[in-house]
Amino acid sequence: MSEPLLVRLGRIDRRWIFLAMALSIIVPMLLKVRFPEIPQPMARATFEAIERVPEGSRVLIAFDYDPASQGELQPMANAIVHHCASRGHKMVFMTLWPFGGPLAERTIDDILLAYHPGYKYGIDYAELGFQPGNEGVVKLMSTNIPKQFPTDKRGTPLAQVPLLADLADTTGFKLVVSISAGYPGAKEWVQYANGPAPEAFTFVSGTTGVQAAQLLPYYPAQMEGMLLAVKGAAEYETIVEEKYPPPQHPERIGDGRVRMGPQLVAHVLMIVLIVLGNLSMAAGRTRGGMR
Amino acid sequence: MNPTTPHAPKRPTYRLLWISIAVLFASVFAFRTAIAAQDPAADPASIRSSWEVLGVWVAAFLTLGIFSFLYKDNPLYKVCESLFVGTSAAYYMVNAFWTSLVPKLIAPLAPGFTKAYLLPDFIPSGEPWAALALALVPLALGVLLLCRLLPKAGWISVWTLAFIIGTTAGMRLTASIESDIMAQAAAASQPLYAVDPQTHSIDWATMLAGVVGVVGVLSVLTYFFFSVEHKGAVGATARLGIWFLMITFGASFGLTVMGRITLLSQRFEFLFKDWLGIL
Repeated sequence: MSEPLLVRLGRIDRRWIFLAMALSIIVPMLLKVRFPEIPQPMARATFEAIERVPEGSRVLIAFDYDPASQGELQPMANAIVHHCASRGHKMVFMTLWPFGGPLAERTIDDILLAYHPGYKYGIDYAELGFQPGNEGVVKLMSTNIPKQFPTDKRGTPLAQVPLLADLADTTGFKLVVSISAGYPGAKEWVQYANGPAPEAFTFVSGTTGVQAAQLLPYYPAQMEGMLLAVKGAAEYETIVEEKYPPPQHPERIGDGRVRMGPQLVAHVLMIVLIVLGNLSMAAGRTRGGMR
Repeated sequence: MNPTTPHAPKRPTYRLLWISIAVLFASVFAFRTAIAAQDPAADPASIRSSWEVLGVWVAAFLTLGIFSFLYKDNPLYKVCESLFVGTSAAYYMVNAFWTSLVPKLIAPLAPGFTKAYLLPDFIPSGEPWAALALALVPLALGVLLLCRLLPKAGWISVWTLAFIIGTTAGMRLTASIESDIMAQAAAASQPLYAVDPQTHSIDWATMLAGVVGVVGVLSVLTYFFFSVEHKGAVGATARLGIWFLMITFGASFGLTVMGRITLLSQRFEFLFKDWLGIL
């Protein structure tokens, strides 16, 4: 007696599933499928937390990720930098990840200087670069930044960089943003910088999907805003673009929304596969029981 | 079994794989060349330098090489995997040398040498002897740790490990108590009665979230309380805790799937946009 289709489905060559997953991403991507993004409370809280910081404040943006997480985190990094620049904030860039430096530089070139050409190095923005030490870097920064970073990324002593000359510790920032892919990242910023001085600065983060569950308990008490993976980035992009439309190349703060089209189709496929997989397993068990 | 017998397993030749790759890359090259000849402005590669174009082609080759594993294990995948491991290890080694060893150890030990040969921008410390003395501590600990490589003196490295474990535990203990226990307990202790500040009416959504949060924390904590047998009321609460844990794992899995799909999406974007130029 031949097996029912549902049972045979359970033994399908998994390469068909890979192909289906690839097509579920490629087809909507080529068809440029877009869906409207309705900003949810967490994306709104992130936006409002940055809005509440007085215009022209000194802010710290930590690029705590590497190219492996660029797909998820670069869209929110672009939007955050554009948002902060639109508010006239003075930005200090750093990273706890060795591969994060080039990503920060690219964001400065593609977003900050392209959208806001008036920004001058040393006055409106500066780069501290990378320092090894993981949470040790954050810990020391919370008490003595010049000791942790004697010079900026270009080798200039902090005292000679106008934006950094009077910077003593992390309380010198009104806002700290960690765009984080894991360890070290947002969790360490909460534990070692925000924990000892929760009222000193506003702290928001953007995170990968994998790390999100670990960081959710900190929101909103210890983390005023949080962007959850590419979905959070897409929602945040929508709010930022609505209030601060980019002067040129609007697609540069649209990657999150672009990736949500294939995301939705792939998720539907995943749900269908999970349902079919469970039905197939149940059918197999029932058939086995009948025998 | 004698390998010369007619029943010896045939070694796969992967001829089809190599031919497919060659045809694919030749087709893309022809396609891109045709586009560039038609309208140079329409070709994104035309505004790149030759090195950037080469980089895109190498990245596309490596991406497809890694994807080829989804069909089956093959030599191309092995090459790409080995390249990834090798370049990553080399990058981390070089990075550790220039960001840790040179500025944190060699510079305070030999500031003149460092400025002359390693870091021209290096600014020597105002207190060179203090910096030297401080650098001797990690130097000594590092040498002790390297003793692990010696068969008869490996036990000496335990001192350095003890130092690392002690300092790390000390640093993390205070941070965890402050941020993960005290602050989390305070965040969980919210009033169960909430009023909307704008409408002055009862905020049912916030109240429900507060109740769910408190019940979730207490039931999960009960599940991890193994000193009492999970029977009766304790057992029922623990089972509720398992439900909360399962929902958490499910949400975590869903978020992980979202992250992985985004990574795949970004790779396809690269192939179709930067390499093929059709997006």
